[in-house]
Amino acid sequence: MSRSTNPRRVLVIEDELMVAMGLEMLLTDSGCAVVGPHGRFDRAMEAARNEAVDAALIDVNLRGSKIYPIADVLAERGIPFAFLTGYEKETLPERFAHELLLSKPCGPQDLVAAVARMCERSLVRT
Amino acid sequence: MRSSRFPIVAIGASAGGVEALTALFRGLPPRPHAAFVIITHLAPHRESLLADILVRHTDMPVAEAHNDQAIEEGHVYLIPPDAVMTVADEHLILNERGGERNPVDIFLTSFALAVGDRAVAVILSGSGTDGAIGVKAVREAEGFTLAQGGSGSQPGHHGMPDAAIATGFVDCILPIDALAERIAAYIDTFEKQPFGARGDGGKATEEIEEARTALCAILRERVGHDFSRYKPNTFLRRVERRMQVRRIADLRGYVAFVKDDPEEATFLFRDLLIGVTSFFRDPEAFDCLARLVIPEIFAGKGADDWVRVWIPGCATGEEVYSVAILLREHMRTMAPQPHVQVFATDVDENALAVARAGHYPAKLLERMSPDRLERYFVREGRSFTIAKEVREICLFSCHSIVRDPPFLNLDLISCRNLLIYFKTELQNQVLPLFHYALRPGGFLFLGISEHVSQNADLFAPLDKKHRIFRRRDQPGRPAVFPVVAQTLTGRRATQPQAKPVSGTEVVRRAETVMLDRFAPAYVIVDDDWNLVRYSARTGKYLEPPAGVPTRNLLAMARRGLQLALRSAMHEVVKTGSATRREGVRVECETGVQTIDLTIEPIPDKGGDHFWLIVFADVGAVRGRDEGVAADWPADQEQAFRQIEQELHQTRERLQISTEEYETAVEELKSANEELLSLNEELQSTNEELETSKEELQSVNEELHTVNVELSAKIDELDRANSDLKNLFASTRIATILLDRTLIIRSFTPAASGIFRLIQTDCGRPLADIATFLDYAGLPEDLKSVLSSMNSIERQLTSRNGEAHYLMRLLPYWNSDRRIDGVIVTFIDVTDMIHVGQQKALVAELNHRVKNVLAVVTSMAAQLARRSTSVDEFNEGFLSRIRGLAQTHDILARHEWSDVALDELFAAELSAFVGESGRAALVGPKVHLRPRATTTLGMVIHELATNAVKYGALSDDNGRVSVAWALRLDAEPPMLEITWREIGGPPVKTPERKGFGTELIERSLDFELGGTARIDYAREGLVVTLAIPAIHAVHTEGGTNEQIHEPQESARH
Repeated sequence: MSRSTNPRRVLVIEDELMVAMGLEMLLTDSGCAVVGPHGRFDRAMEAARNEAVDAALIDVNLRGSKIYPIADVLAERGIPFAFLTGYEKETLPERFAHELLLSKPCGPQDLVAAVARMCERSLVRT
Repeated sequence: MRSSRFPIVAIGASAGGVEALTALFRGLPPRPHAAFVIITHLAPHRESLLADILVRHTDMPVAEAHNDQAIEEGHVYLIPPDAVMTVADEHLILNERGGERNPVDIFLTSFALAVGDRAVAVILSGSGTDGAIGVKAVREAEGFTLAQGGSGSQPGHHGMPDAAIATGFVDCILPIDALAERIAAYIDTFEKQPFGARGDGGKATEEIEEARTALCAILRERVGHDFSRYKPNTFLRRVERRMQVRRIADLRGYVAFVKDDPEEATFLFRDLLIGVTSFFRDPEAFDCLARLVIPEIFAGKGADDWVRVWIPGCATGEEVYSVAILLREHMRTMAPQPHVQVFATDVDENALAVARAGHYPAKLLERMSPDRLERYFVREGRSFTIAKEVREICLFSCHSIVRDPPFLNLDLISCRNLLIYFKTELQNQVLPLFHYALRPGGFLFLGISEHVSQNADLFAPLDKKHRIFRRRDQPGRPAVFPVVAQTLTGRRATQPQAKPVSGTEVVRRAETVMLDRFAPAYVIVDDDWNLVRYSARTGKYLEPPAGVPTRNLLAMARRGLQLALRSAMHEVVKTGSATRREGVRVECETGVQTIDLTIEPIPDKGGDHFWLIVFADVGAVRGRDEGVAADWPADQEQAFRQIEQELHQTRERLQISTEEYETAVEELKSANEELLSLNEELQSTNEELETSKEELQSVNEELHTVNVELSAKIDELDRANSDLKNLFASTRIATILLDRTLIIRSFTPAASGIFRLIQTDCGRPLADIATFLDYAGLPEDLKSVLSSMNSIERQLTSRNGEAHYLMRLLPYWNSDRRIDGVIVTFIDVTDMIHVGQQKALVAELNHRVKNVLAVVTSMAAQLARRSTSVDEFNEGFLSRIRGLAQTHDILARHEWSDVALDELFAAELSAFVGESGRAALVGPKVHLRPRATTTLGMVIHELATNAVKYGALSDDNGRVSVAWALRLDAEPPMLEITWREIGGPPVKTPERKGFGTELIERSLDFELGGTARIDYAREGLVVTLAIPAIHAVHTEGGTNEQIHEPQESARH
C-alpha cells in the first residue's frame, strides 16, 4: 500500500479543545488525516502506542501531567513528533533537547511546514 | 668525562655547628655541583631537626642518610643519631655508634680513601679534637681541607677547627662567609682542571713536562731537594692541588707564582712529601729500627736502668705509639725490665690532645698486623684506643725544640718528617742539639727524605737507606752547648761545618790540643751542679754513680772530693769570686790523689750561670796507707785513727740514711705511679665528659633553633586563631562544630538564630538544644554523616514558614584525615526562595498567556473559515472573547477556585433573571471546579447568545428555564443540567452545524468527559448537559459535600 496515495496521519495531543480544533482544521485543510485530538493522558497514551501515524503534535502539559512518557513511546516507535507548548525549550528534559519544539501560539505556515518535514522523515525511515 | 666526577664535601661540626652550618649553606649557591655530607655529634636516641633547619637555606634535598645510600650530586646527607658513617664505593655505610666519640674522624678517614682527590673536608665550630686525624687523612689522599677560623667571625667553639689546623694539614682557614665562597669556587673550578687527562700524549704533555722541570729546578734551588725523579703523575697531582688552593687556573701561571712567592715553594715541598701518616709508616724502616737499634738500647740494662726516648714533633701520636710498641715488644723478651720513658713533644697543645687520647679510627689501623692490634689496642666501636701498657710509657708535653732545652741522656731520638719543615739553617741548629741530647752511642731515627749530610761529623749512618744514625763521640769537636751555645755565642750553630779551615780555626784547634794535653782537668757545671762540659782526663775525680745516669757533679764526685766541692761551691755562689781548696785528698781507683781544687765563675750574658771547676794534681797518686803515712807525722797517727773511726761510724749512719732515703724514694715512685694512672683515668673520664658536653651542646643548639621555630609557629597560630575568631563572629553562615559524640564544640553567633544556643552550651549535645527548624531527622542525619563520611544537604524551613535554610552536614576531618565530628552549616536562602517563587510565577504567567493566545488564535482561525462576512466574523469573535473574559473574571474573583453554578448562569443571563422572570434557575447549591467552570462558561455563553439572537430571548415573550440536579445513583455520578427555551419563535433544525453547536457538543466530552444533547423541538430548544460529578462540589445545607476527589488540578 503506497503512502503517497493516502493522507498522512497526524496524531494530535492537546487538552485545550479550541486549540485542538484549530489544529484539526489546519491539518485537514493541508490534506492530513488527524488522529485524535486527545486531551486526556490515558487516551493519548493509548493512541501513541497503537495508532499508525506519520507524525505527532503533542502538548507538553496534559491537564497537569507531563507528556514525556508518551514522547518516549513515540520516539521508541520512530514516529517523528513535535512539542507544542507555551513553555520554554529549556524546561524540556535533556533527552528531548534535540526534538522539534513549536511555540504556542504557532503560525499556521510554520506548523504545516513542520508537519510536512516530520512526515518526510517518517517516510524515509519507512 | 669529568661531569660525573663531582666533589664531595664532608662537613664536621659540633657545638656551635648549627649556626655555622646555616651560615655556610646560606653562603653557597642553591644548587652547587657537589654532594654534601654532614657529620655532627648527635645525642643518641634523639631525633635531629637539623634537616628541617638546613632545608630552608638550600634548594638541595636534605635528608638523613640511610645505609648503603649512593652519594649523588646535589644532595645533602646527614649522619643519623646513634650511627657512625663510613664510605665505601660511593655509598654511605651506617653502623651502630656504640659509644664512638669521634664520628668525624671515622667518616673522614674512610671518606679520604674512598673518594681521594674529590674529597673536601670542612671542619666547623666544635669543641674537642674530633676531625684532626680525619683532615690529615683527607690531605694525604690529596683532598682539599678547610677549617673555620681566621679573622672576622670566629667559630663558637675553637676546639675542633684548632685541632685540625694544628695538624698543619688544613689548606684554608677562613671565617664562615669566606669559607662558603671558597668552597663554591672550588666546586666551580673542579670541573675545569688544568691538565685535563693527565699523562695523555700530544702537545699538552710538552707543556706539562716543561712546567714540571721548571718546578723541580725551583725546588732544588730553594729547599735543596731534587724531585726530578719523583713519579710525574704524583708530582703533578700535588701541583694541581696547590693550584686549586691558590686558585690559579693555568700551569704556567703557577710556575710564575712559585718563582715569585718564596713561601709557595715550601708549601709545595711539604705537599709533595706528604705520605700516608699511619702507624709504622715506612714499615721497612721500623723493622730496621727494631732489629738494629732497640736491642742495643736495652743491652746491658737492668731493672734499675732507664731507657729514654724522645720524639719531638709528635703531632697526633702515630709515630710515638709505633716506637713505644716496638719498645714494648722488645721488653717482653727481657726478664728484668728497665724503666722506659718515651718523651713525646710538640709545640701544639691541640695536636697533643689528640695524641694523648690515643684514639684512632679503625681505617688508620688497617695495615697494622692483627697481632699488634689485638695486643696493643682496645677496640671501641669503629675506632681503637692505644692500650694502657703502651700509653703509660709515653709522656706527652708541650715543648719546642727551638726554644726549650732538650731532654738529655737519651738512647734514641725519633724525629721523622719534621726536619723537612725546617730550613737548612734551623736544621743545622737542631741536629747538634740532638747530638747533645743523646747519650754517647745514642741513635737518631729520621724520615726517609731527611738527612744529616751537613752534620755528618755528629752522626754516623747505621742504616743509610732507612735513615738510622748513631751519635758520634766527638770530644774534639766543640759542638757542646747546643742551645746554651746558641744563646751565649749566637753564631756558632749557624757556621757551616764544611767550610775550609781558617787561620783562627788552627789556633783554636791548637788551643784545644793544649788544653787536652797540658792543662789540668776541669769540668763546667750549671746552677744545679749539672755537668755541661768535661775536659779530658776527669775520670780520676769523677765516676758515674750506680743507678740512674746523672750529670750531677756531686753525685759523680769520687770519695773525698764531695765535701770540698760543696763547701767551695757554696762560697763561690755567695761571694761571686773564685775560690780555691788546697790539699784535697781524693780516693781514686789506684790510690789517693791530693789535688788543689779551684772554682771560678764564668762570665755570663744571658742570666745562666756556669762555673769552671779545675782539678790540679799535687804530686803523684799514692797508696792509701802510704798517702796517709807520708803526709802526716806519726804522732798524729792516733788522732787520725780516731777521726777515721768516727768517719767510719758517720759513713755507716749515712749509709743507713741513704737506704732509708732510697726506700722513701721507692715509695714516692710507686705513689707517683698510682697518681699517674689515676690521672690517666681522670683524663679519660674528662674526655667522656667533653663528649657528653659536646652532645648536650648540639642538642641545646638544636633545641634553641627549634624553639625559635616554635615561637614563630605559635605566632602564626595566634594569628590564624584570631582570624578564625573574627571569621566566626562576622560570618552570617550559621555554623556548629560537633565532636564524634555530637557534643557541641563551638558555634558561630549566627547559629543562635536557628538553635536556642547560648555561649555555655558548648559541651552539651546538640540534640538537647531547642530549634526553630522543622527538622526531626537531624539526629539520624548526623549519625549517617559520621558512619558514611558523606555530606548531606537539605533545604529546611523554619516552623513558622518564614525562613528558609540550605543546611549542609559535613564530616569534620582532623589533620590525620580521620573523622572527628560533624560540621553543621546553615545558609539563609529565604530571599533566594522568594525570588525563585517570583520567577516561577512570571514563567507560569507567560505560559498561561501564551495558552490563552493560542486559544484565541485558534478560535479566530476557525471563525474566519466559517464566516461569510467581516461583520459576521467580528460579531462571533468579539462576543466569544467577551464570554471568555467574563468566565475569567468570575474565576479571578473567586481566586481561581470553585464557582457556584447559578452564578455562572446568572452572569450570562443577567438581563433576564430577577424582576423580569424570563430566566429561571432551579437546582441545588452546586459549585464547579475551575476547569468545569471554564468549559461550562463557554457552553452557557453559546446557549445564551443563541437564545438572544434566534431563540426564546430574541423577542419579548419567550423565557428560559434552567434546571440541574446531581444524579448520585448513576455510575459514574453525574451533574445533569437542562436548558429549556419556552415561548420563543418556532425552532427549525439548522441546515449545517454552526461553530457554537460544535463547541457545545465537543467540549463537554473533550474537556470534562461529559455529554451534550441538543433537541431542536419546535416549541423550544432543549439542551441536556451531563458532566461527571467529580467536577462539582455539592454545598447544599451549608456543608460542602465533596462529591469526588478531583483528579486534576485546574489549568489554563
